[in-house]
Amino acid sequence: MTSVLTVAAARLLMAPILVVAAAVLVKGYADVGDGFSAGVIAALGVVLQYLALGREEAERLLALRLIGPAVFVALLGALAVALIPLARGDALLEHAPAPGADVVELGTIELITAVAFDVAIFVLVVAAVVGIVRAIAHVAEGEGEGGQ
Amino acid sequence: MADDRPHARGAHRVLAPASAILAALLLAATLIAWSSGGGSLDLPWAPALGLRLHFRLDGLAVLYILLATGVAVAVFAYSARYLPLHLAHGGRPAGESVRFYALLVLFMGAMIGLATAQDLILLFVFWDITAIASYYLIAYDRHEAESRWAALMALLVTGVSAVLLLIGALVLQAEYGTFSLPEILEQVRPGGAVTLAGALIALAAIAKSAQVPFHFWLPRAMTAPTPVSAYLHSAAMVAAGVLLIGRTYPVLESSRLVLDGLVVVGVASMLVGGLLALSRDEIKRLLACSTFSQYGYVVFLYGLGGPLAATAAGLYVLAHGIAKSALFLTAGAVTEATGGRNRLSDLGGLARELPVLAAASGLAAASVAALPLTLGFFADELFFGAALERGAGYALIAVAGAALTFAYLGRFWIVIFLGARQGGEARAPRLLVVPVLALGLAALAGGLVPSPAADLAADAASASVLGPAEASVAYHLDLRAENLMALGAWALGSLLLACAGGLRDPLMKVASIGARLGPERIYGGSLVALNRLSDRIHDFEVRDLRTRVASVLMPAGLLVVIGVLATPSAGAYTVGSIRVRDAGLVLALLVACAGALATTVPRRHLTLALVVATVGYGLTAVYAFIGAPDVALVAVLVETVLAVLLLGVFSLVPADVLRREAELPTRATRRWRDPLVGVVSGGVAFMLAWGALSRPVRGESIAAEHVRLADDAHAKDVVTAILADFRALDTLVEVTVIAVAFLGVSSLLRRGRLL
Repeated sequence: MTSVLTVAAARLLMAPILVVAAAVLVKGYADVGDGFSAGVIAALGVVLQYLALGREEAERLLALRLIGPAVFVALLGALAVALIPLARGDALLEHAPAPGADVVELGTIELITAVAFDVAIFVLVVAAVVGIVRAIAHVAEGEGEGGQ
Repeated sequence: MADDRPHARGAHRVLAPASAILAALLLAATLIAWSSGGGSLDLPWAPALGLRLHFRLDGLAVLYILLATGVAVAVFAYSARYLPLHLAHGGRPAGESVRFYALLVLFMGAMIGLATAQDLILLFVFWDITAIASYYLIAYDRHEAESRWAALMALLVTGVSAVLLLIGALVLQAEYGTFSLPEILEQVRPGGAVTLAGALIALAAIAKSAQVPFHFWLPRAMTAPTPVSAYLHSAAMVAAGVLLIGRTYPVLESSRLVLDGLVVVGVASMLVGGLLALSRDEIKRLLACSTFSQYGYVVFLYGLGGPLAATAAGLYVLAHGIAKSALFLTAGAVTEATGGRNRLSDLGGLARELPVLAAASGLAAASVAALPLTLGFFADELFFGAALERGAGYALIAVAGAALTFAYLGRFWIVIFLGARQGGEARAPRLLVVPVLALGLAALAGGLVPSPAADLAADAASASVLGPAEASVAYHLDLRAENLMALGAWALGSLLLACAGGLRDPLMKVASIGARLGPERIYGGSLVALNRLSDRIHDFEVRDLRTRVASVLMPAGLLVVIGVLATPSAGAYTVGSIRVRDAGLVLALLVACAGALATTVPRRHLTLALVVATVGYGLTAVYAFIGAPDVALVAVLVETVLAVLLLGVFSLVPADVLRREAELPTRATRRWRDPLVGVVSGGVAFMLAWGALSRPVRGESIAAEHVRLADDAHAKDVVTAILADFRALDTLVEVTVIAVAFLGVSSLLRRGRLL
């Protein structure tokens, strides 16, 4: 069904898609985009592999075994960012550094806890979307076998 | 011997010794801490709610911790041998032992927390942890339906009643403005609220201690592996109930009503348990009935009131916990040694082949039956003394209870170890006997040197009654009332034992009537009724999804229609001007409108999904032209991923089903009704949007504030700052919804597997 061209294009596109996702993620605080958008972009990249290469090949290329638990690891990460301020006596989700304090900058990335929160959301969105697509692929294939 | 120890290889092998060492270290630490004057730990937990992580090592805590850790050492040592055998009998992998030890250690930790907690909510948390751990431990043989039923029963009876404890805590908080137990207990005064709280707490406690009428869960819970019964159902889980009574005693004591209730419940449990134990054939069930009978003593003692009774209660819990766990372990060893025999009628004459086990369990049985030279004797001496203090009637009840105990334990021990020899060869592994021996010797040591245990019980009592309490125990070879009562109990007990054979049949009949009409029946009936009610509601809710959705949307839509019609229309709808540079925007809107209209045409599901996506992309273009790049980016991504997922889900439905559904003819009523509903609701929505857009925004918008604050949040992009900072809690909740939805999809598609 899929032509050689589609397969080649899908494989070529994976890396640029991930780069774009990473850019949207880390530049979120300076430019358009955030963790959610970046997560969807990365997930769509993975979905493209599934569509072009088929489930087996896609899963061989991308290590997706831990994608389900990753949803909950990411959720725990987001919760940690939310709850750690409580231990310091601050309000829930109070980000550090405080307003007016100095921020370490690496290029356009600012090292603030809000970015960590955004990264957790990124991971969660990627993992959830890919996980659902993966589950659909598994079931669709399993049914195909059952019908034979 | 190596082939005799199946599945005891690898890492699982260190679990039992490691757990036993942990328990022993905790035991030693408790003793050291106590000898250096106890201590307390007080940390803020949730200051806004007035909750503190407040633990204190007082006499009461020490007593229960020593019991929970000391018995745990024996139980872990025993499990090292018992569990591999148990798993091998069921043909299960050795890896399942990890769960066993983890849960038992969790349980031990929860008991320690429960014993030391000084905050009512903290107490409640540990209370529930014990209930949850007990659920998994009782259902350890989860392939057995009976185990699961028993575990659920234990969880429901002790868990639902735990809510009463929480309500009691809230009542006390409303009355005294704090959850801190020391503060509440200091200022507790008799009154309606305190009586209510006391009654609720007492109910939770007697359910946990398996007192009548909640006693039925305990014999059922005997489906648990023997070490679990030995730990939970002698020294820990059921002890938690009376621990709660001891911990909140001033609250309970301030009401005569609650105390009298405790006396009634205690006496009823004592007698019902004793009589049931006399008629049971299965040895673990016999011990279970004995257990709630013995905790009946303790509840009875707390109901009597006063420092002497509280001291007796403490000593009783200690003596009983040590001896009863030894008896449970004996039951397991006997069953293991005889190749699975667990009924008195199948057992007999084991003393010759298992002399050490016979002697050790004899010591334990003697301690529960309160024979001299054992710790139980002194527990009974204080018990008789406290009953006598209140009056002759109470003393008679006490003697009757003790006589029953003597009789059924005599029957237990004599039938198993003496009597006619039954069955083939019996050999018990050494590690199944040594823990019983250690516990039996502990009971003996307590009988020879009773003062440490008695002092500890007195310390526990003084922590309960918030006043001085002391116990002077020693052997008195004279005709004082306590000694006469003990002699009377033994004599009466021997008489009962002699006619136990004749008593059994009538007792069995009464017991079966009780089982048919009693509280267990009510429990089963209410569970079935609850299930049926839940099914009804569920059926009603989902029978016709379309109707349910319509029944919510239609009234809401009607309200909006009324709102639009009732609003004065003069000046409410204005038409602005369209400039040339808005051409792109208008074009995008037209595309979106065309897409929306087009959704009414296709009949095939795939086409419909794609057309719906077109509407979304049209709107994305609208956002882009308005100048909201963040929203446009999110919209285009969400549209794409939704379309992909929708197509994916369609791929799961068999193609011919989709085709058949698409070719179904539209019903005649739908042909005019659906368009009408669509046109009316669309028109109203249009008027609403138009009206809203016609009004100029009044006052300052929050948007300006967000833009101003973005700098403080170190953000150059306001939208991201809103998502990750200003409204981060919303985002957190939203991603939680995504995670939960993912879990739901996984459960539906892949039966709960996340991978």
